[in-house]
Amino acid sequence: MNHLLNITKKELRELLTPGTIVSILIVVVMFSVLGSAMSGESESEAAPKEIGIVYDGTNGFDDVIYDGHNLGEILQAAYYSTYDVNTIDHLHLMDSDPTDKAAIAEEVKNKGYAVAMVIPSNLAANLGAKTQTNVQMYYNYVQTGIFGAASSVTGTVFMNSVNDTLEAYLIINLGGSLPFTVSPLVNDHDYTMVNGKICEGITPYEISATLIGQTMLIPIIVTMVIVIVGSIVISSMGTEKENKTLETLLTMPIKRTVIVSGKLMAAAIMGLVYGACYMVGMMMYTNGLTSGISGSSTDLSEYGLTMDPLDWLILLVVLFLAIFSALSICMILGAFTKNYKMAQTMTLPISGLALIPMFVLMFSSWESLPLIGQIGLFAIPFSHPMMAMDNLMFGNIILVVEGIAYLLVFDIIMILITVRIYNSDILITGLDQSKFLGKLTARFAKKETENEHS
Amino acid sequence: MSDALVLDGIRKTFGEREAVKGISFSVKEGEIFGLIGPNGAGKTTTLRMICTLLEPTSGTIRICGLDNRTESAEVRKIISYLPEDAGAYKDLTGRQYLRFMAGFFTDGAEFDAVVDKAITLSKLGDRIDSKVSTYSKGMTRRLLIARAVMASPKLAVMDEITSGLDVMSAFEIREFVRELARNGVTILISSHNMYEVESLCDRVAMINHGEIVLSGTPSELKEEYGAANLEEAFIKAVSGVKG
Repeated sequence: MNHLLNITKKELRELLTPGTIVSILIVVVMFSVLGSAMSGESESEAAPKEIGIVYDGTNGFDDVIYDGHNLGEILQAAYYSTYDVNTIDHLHLMDSDPTDKAAIAEEVKNKGYAVAMVIPSNLAANLGAKTQTNVQMYYNYVQTGIFGAASSVTGTVFMNSVNDTLEAYLIINLGGSLPFTVSPLVNDHDYTMVNGKICEGITPYEISATLIGQTMLIPIIVTMVIVIVGSIVISSMGTEKENKTLETLLTMPIKRTVIVSGKLMAAAIMGLVYGACYMVGMMMYTNGLTSGISGSSTDLSEYGLTMDPLDWLILLVVLFLAIFSALSICMILGAFTKNYKMAQTMTLPISGLALIPMFVLMFSSWESLPLIGQIGLFAIPFSHPMMAMDNLMFGNIILVVEGIAYLLVFDIIMILITVRIYNSDILITGLDQSKFLGKLTARFAKKETENEHS
Repeated sequence: MSDALVLDGIRKTFGEREAVKGISFSVKEGEIFGLIGPNGAGKTTTLRMICTLLEPTSGTIRICGLDNRTESAEVRKIISYLPEDAGAYKDLTGRQYLRFMAGFFTDGAEFDAVVDKAITLSKLGDRIDSKVSTYSKGMTRRLLIARAVMASPKLAVMDEITSGLDVMSAFEIREFVRELARNGVTILISSHNMYEVESLCDRVAMINHGEIVLSGTPSELKEEYGAANLEEAFIKAVSGVKG
C-alpha cells in the first residue's frame, strides 16, 4: 500500500472517533438551524411592514392633497417605492387622536405596526402655501438583537419615500425653494414606546445603537467563559486520566464529592477571572467600535433603561448558575474522557450549546422566536445569562425568575448525576465496559475483521 | 501474624464479561504478597477493587478488619495505591507534589515530618525542587513510591512497580520495597514479571482468566510443579501438568 495513504488512513481512523463524528454532526445541524433562523429573521425584516397613519382630515385617505391626488394615493405610491408592493392594504388609518401620544403609542404596540406617522390635517394647505409640514413618528421598541433598529429604518425609509413622491410633483408643478422642495414633510419629533412607556425624542435605532455593545457583548462573553471553563474541567479530567493521577487521587481518604467540588471551584474561579478580563477587553473594543456610530451614546437611563444594584445582583446569580451548569455538564463529560486528546473533542458539545443561544440572541430575540424556538432556547441553560440583562432592563422579570428556577432545577439534577457517576466504576473504566457499547464495539470489530479477511 | 487483607469470593463483571471469577486469598501483616499472571488476567481489576476504586459484583474484601465496601472511607486512611504507569502532576516540583498529597493525611506539626520523610525516602536529593516533568521514569517512580508510603499505610498496593524501568532503577525500587516490608508495611504487588516476584515476595497467588490457579510460597509452588522457576510453575499449572 502507498505509504502516504497508509499513514493518512491511520490518522483519519484515530481522528474520526464516534465523539468527533457526533460533534461534527452537531455543528452541522446547529449551523443549518441557525442559518434557517437567520434567513427567516432577515426575510421578516425585509418583508413589507404594517404602517399606521394618524390623520384627522375630513375624509381620511380620500382627502385631496394636491391637484386631484388624495392622501391615500401619495402614501400608496411611497409604499410601492419602498416595498415594491402596490397596495394600500399595509397602510392603516388609525383611530387615535393626533394629540393623544399615549393612545397612539398604545395603538402602535397593540396592532403591531412597525411605525406610525402622524400627519396634520393642514398638509394640503401647507403644500399649497409651499410650507414644510411637521409630522411625528411613533415606534414600539422590540428587542431583536442587531435587528432592533429595524422599525426606525422602516420609518425613515417610508418618510423619505413620501417626500420623494411629493417632490416629483412639487418641483415640476409648483416650483418652490429649498428646503420645502426637497423635504415637504419634516419629522419634528420621534416617540418610541419602551416597556409600555413613551420615550420622547428617541428612535429604536438610537436605543439599538446604544445597546449594541450589550447585545453583542454579553452573549460573546458568556460563550467565551463557558467554553473556557468547560475546556479547563474536561482537559483537567483528561490529563488526570492520561497521567493516571486520578486513580491515585481517588484512593485518598477524602470524599469524591470533595474532589468534584475542588475541580469545580478552580474552574469557576478561572472562569470568573477570564470573564472579567474578556469583559474589560470587549468593552474597550466595543466602545472603540461604536464611538463613531451616530446615536450610540444616548443616555438610556433618562428613559428608565438602566440596571439598578438589584438587577446586577440578579444578573450575577443567573451567570453563576449558568457557569455552574456548564461545569456540571463538563464534569460529566470529563468522566468519560480517556486522555487529553479525547478531552479536546469532548468540549465541542458544550461549545455548541453555548454558540446556539449566542447567535440566536445576536440576530434575533426571545420575543421574535416561535414557541418551539423559545422552548429550545429556554432549555439551554446558557441562554439565560445572555438574555438576563436585556430582560432586566426592559422589565421582563418573569422570564428572568423562570430562568433562575429552571437553572436551579437543572443544576441540582446535574449535581446528582455527577455525584452518581463519580461514585461509580465509570470514572475508572469509562464507557468501554458498558454493556451496550461493549456489544456495539464487538460487532464493529467483528465486521472489520471479516472485511479484512475478505 | 494476623491477616492484613482477606478476599473472599470476589467477582467482577463488566457487562457480559466476567473479569474476576470469585477469587479468594489473604495477605498477612508485614508480608510481601505477589499477584502474578499474564496481561489481562484480572490483576489490576483485583487491585482496584481492593483499593475501593471499583466495586466488586459480589464477595467481600476486608482490610485490617474493615469491610472495604461499607467502610471505604476508613479503608482509604490505611491503604495506599500505586497504579501501573502512574504519573505525578507535571507542573509541580517533587516537593510540591509530596506536600499536596501529604495534606490529605495529616496537618500541623506532623505534616512537615511526613513530607520530610517522603523526601528522604524518594532519594531525589536536590532534584526534589525540580519540576516532575524533568524527572526520568525511575525518579518519578521513586517519588510515587515515597508518596505511597509516606503516611505509613498498613497496606501498600503496587501495580507493576518496575514496569518500563531500566535494570538499575528496577533494582533500586525492589530494594526499596524490601526495606518497607522490613519496617512493617504489608505490601501487595502485582506483576507479570515472574522473576521479580520470585525474588521479592514471601508468597504469591497466580491468576489466569480471572481465577486463582495456584498460591503459596515461591519454593512451595516450584516444588509442587517440579519447576525450575515460577514462570515454569505457572505454565504447568495453567496446562494442568503437575511435577
